Amino acid sequence: MITVSPNNLSENNVKLDLNNLSPEQVALEINNLDLYYGEKQALHDISMAIPKGQVTAFIGPSGCGKSTLLRCINRMNDLVDICRIEGEINLHGENIYGKHVDVAALRRKVGMVFQRPNPFPKSIYENVIYGLRITGENNRRVLDEVVERSLKSAALWDEVKDRLHESALGLSGGQQQRLVIARAIAIEPEVLLLDEPTSALDPISTLTIEELINDLKKQFTVVIVTHNMQQAARVSDQTAFMYMGDLIEYSDTNTLFTTPAKKKTEDYITGRYG
Amino acid sequence: MDNLNIGRHISGQFNEDLENVINHVMNMGGLVEKQLSDALASVYNSDEELAKRVHSNDYKINNLEVSIDDECTRIIAKRQPAAGDLRLIMAIVKTIADLERIGDEAEKIASVALESFSSDSKDLLMNLDNLGRNVLECLQATLDAFTRMDVEAAIKTHGNDDKIDREYEALMRQLMTYMMEEPRQIPQIMSVIWSARALERIGDRCQNICEYIIYFVKGKVVRHTSPEDMKNL
Repeated sequence: MITVSPNNLSENNVKLDLNNLSPEQVALEINNLDLYYGEKQALHDISMAIPKGQVTAFIGPSGCGKSTLLRCINRMNDLVDICRIEGEINLHGENIYGKHVDVAALRRKVGMVFQRPNPFPKSIYENVIYGLRITGENNRRVLDEVVERSLKSAALWDEVKDRLHESALGLSGGQQQRLVIARAIAIEPEVLLLDEPTSALDPISTLTIEELINDLKKQFTVVIVTHNMQQAARVSDQTAFMYMGDLIEYSDTNTLFTTPAKKKTEDYITGRYG
Repeated sequence: MDNLNIGRHISGQFNEDLENVINHVMNMGGLVEKQLSDALASVYNSDEELAKRVHSNDYKINNLEVSIDDECTRIIAKRQPAAGDLRLIMAIVKTIADLERIGDEAEKIASVALESFSSDSKDLLMNLDNLGRNVLECLQATLDAFTRMDVEAAIKTHGNDDKIDREYEALMRQLMTYMMEEPRQIPQIMSVIWSARALERIGDRCQNICEYIIYFVKGKVVRHTSPEDMKNL
């Protein structure tokens, strides 16, 4: 019998079996994660494997826990007093919530970019090398190289190379956001977390950032939270749909946006009443 | 139309757009069905008036195809439909292309009524009766399944195309025998063969539409799938 498979006319679009990833393919593994804010449970038993070198998007309505889950990945929730976490998140097989984990070292491996661009009130150059300066790196040649490499990776180099020592606050919103991404990747993290990175940007800057995300996945594992479903559809390889603290559906983006398995997902992505 | 589930979008305007486009497809289906039954009637009754009307009405179907296509493009551009909505739009775009071609086939069939058949060769046309009736029923069943987006009905109608194919082959054998027996009638017999061919093609296009219905409802591509596998959907 010959069946016609509609998949994969484009070869770089290899579909992974998310339930059956080999250890080398996994960047992050979340196992039975529960999160409580005081008495209230905000995440219910989340388990998922995030593949290496790919873009994984979290989508869902406000308050569904997608940002909370993202913030768990570099322990940003530690800063919230009433927050309590059970379960584990493994980075290279090591639980980041283990007893002897150095949180600062973890955050060097797992960089994060927020909704609003937040450059420091310093020069463009100093912004990019801020992380390296903290680690004590002062070799001018190394720093110059990192600045150029990071700004090129963040698709900002051509626009700022002649004014590296001017204030970063003089850049446009879209440029600032790319600068923040350059700052995050300057310390060569393994995972890059993007929390609605384009929600404060105009459509053209948004497209620039999306194009950038596509380039970044060659070097990093990218996890993105976005309110913009079309954005998730455009940039991600995998999409996780969350609703009221539950992970409803997690599958490759092509499938999720054409033939979702769960009715809740379908209702959300087609803009229907739940 | 309820199991299309289109009335539940948060955007009322989107609901309205989809309802409009579906209504237009149904109108188009009704027109195509009327064209086919008129074309067949014009052939059986040698009704030239009716045959001419079939010819002059084809533009309505063509116009509808263009405007539905246009509406779908607009919906894609403005709403970026996903999942079921996207599959619905894709199914509609393909369905109307097949409906338009069915309209063209009906026009071809009606042309036969405009040809000069001598009174004794007119009997030849009655050979189309059975096939014509089956194909018309198949089209009606297809449009019915489309209106209700009924997968079961679509699978059943899809399977019925075999019957049409068998009938078509039997008719061909019969017509070939006539040709051997009455070589002088070959031009007329050829006209009947073209009509039979057009009917057979309509059956295939109905099958395509059934496949789009299954794609919309189940999200599965069943083109080029064997009948046994269709049953296991």
